[in-house]
Amino acid sequence: MNRLIIDNLSAGYGAVSVLRNVSLELNEGEMVALLGMNGNGKSTLLNCVLGFVRASAGRILLEWNGKSRDLTRLQPHEIVRLGLSIVPEGRRLVPNISVEDNLKLAGSNPVVRDRMTQNLSYCFDTFPLLLERRRQIASTMSGGQQQLLAIARSLMTLPKIVVIDEPSVGLAPIVVRDVLAAIEHLRAKSGMTILMAEQSFFQAIDVSSRAYILAHGSIQREFRRSEGEIAHEDIRKAMLGGVIQH
Amino acid sequence: MLAQGPIMLSIDILVNALVTGILLGSVYAALALGLAITFGILHIPNIAHPTLVIAGAFFVYTLAQWGVDPILAALVGLVPFYLLGVALYLFYSRLFERRGGANVLQSLTLFFGLSLVIEILLALSFGSELKSVNVFYIGSSLRLGILTIPYRLLIPALLAPVMIGAVWLYLSRTNTGTAIRAVAHEERALSIAGLNPASIKRHAFGIATATAVVAGAALIMVGPIEPFSGRFQIGRVFAIVVLAGMGSIPGSLVIAIVIGISEALVSSYLNPSWSPGVAFAILLLGLALRPQGLFGAAR
Repeated sequence: MNRLIIDNLSAGYGAVSVLRNVSLELNEGEMVALLGMNGNGKSTLLNCVLGFVRASAGRILLEWNGKSRDLTRLQPHEIVRLGLSIVPEGRRLVPNISVEDNLKLAGSNPVVRDRMTQNLSYCFDTFPLLLERRRQIASTMSGGQQQLLAIARSLMTLPKIVVIDEPSVGLAPIVVRDVLAAIEHLRAKSGMTILMAEQSFFQAIDVSSRAYILAHGSIQREFRRSEGEIAHEDIRKAMLGGVIQH
Repeated sequence: MLAQGPIMLSIDILVNALVTGILLGSVYAALALGLAITFGILHIPNIAHPTLVIAGAFFVYTLAQWGVDPILAALVGLVPFYLLGVALYLFYSRLFERRGGANVLQSLTLFFGLSLVIEILLALSFGSELKSVNVFYIGSSLRLGILTIPYRLLIPALLAPVMIGAVWLYLSRTNTGTAIRAVAHEERALSIAGLNPASIKRHAFGIATATAVVAGAALIMVGPIEPFSGRFQIGRVFAIVVLAGMGSIPGSLVIAIVIGISEALVSSYLNPSWSPGVAFAILLLGLALRPQGLFGAAR
């Protein structure tokens, strides 16, 4: 079975430990939400998966097509070439080049560059707005449009798994809806495997099949969408790092 | 009739000063190109670049002793100088970037030291006398009416825009070029693209250093050089890169020509000893009017 396994992962910045023994699983074709309040380690976890933050203990295993790779000692660009891609917090677009150049840049690594043309037209098919604006300088677009570009860019490296870090942060509520709709559309269209960090859990759970709640640097609870409706109070407690009742 | 003489003379001087200035400016732009990449695009204050240009000039000089044409010698030097640049970048990044980035002062000190080491190595190998190259076209001039253009200035001045154009096309039209222009703005965007930011920077530094050998060929054709000649160029090339707007390579050609013309006018009409200050006067004026550089994007 194709999947990503995070196994007892710990990480931090210098002396500050942020993640403690985090374990979770992401199966092919799933969309899983990682929920938690600000400062509880969501971004650290996602950046750890992509190699931007080094794990101090534990493993991140990519099990795909019968092969298993530990990602914890790899550099970010190597992890991307193995088939993970990220829509990072703050988007991290190249501000002074065009929409198309941002996409082409992402499509130019040696593993995927032969498919650049197909990948580019796939992105433009999926997000027609970007086709209209392909000559526009990235930094001159609105936050929501830039977020769509960051999502489209994550597809240019032909990912097996896309990791999305708080797509709604800093956006107006109506734009958040558009961005989440775009992610859902993408998932429906491509069957992409997605791990998405979010603060607004009701919106996130609407589009996800499962969710993990991360508080104080560890997984407090895992639940399925079907439980989401009945467990509001539990979810709230778990997000605040409260005691979990069984 | 009596008044015509001095007027003719001054038009003559003016036209020659303008043309000499344009040609000289073009050569300055070649000198500044490497710095426009390392400092303007990568934000690494490579103060050793003018010294690398002098090293390039000595490379060309050495081959010219064997009868190789300076331009051909420069082409031969492209690969060794690219590799030298890669080695310098590795040295720099080992020292600084792996430990979480260098501050500007540390980098300046490193490149200042490197520059001294290269100068002394050159002085030990070649002595400190002035060296020049002898090619059939160097002694003669092109005469067009009142205009006299020495070939030793014309040929390097034509070489420079070709090199600058080639580098600019590479940076603006290829994916690797886009990656080079992007790396200082948003390094993480490269990692996200599956590209190794360190190897992109190394490659860019190699290209910048390879331009030094062509600039060196241009410089030694214009006039004789000695191991410490680079010092006279440091201020000028930094002024060009900063005034053009960091990273604007076509802009640096324009600014270099403006500086070349101004220097030629100042030395013709005022006093040649003023000309080294011209670049800074223009820099101060330019930055007062447009702090982001004349061709830089507004931030």
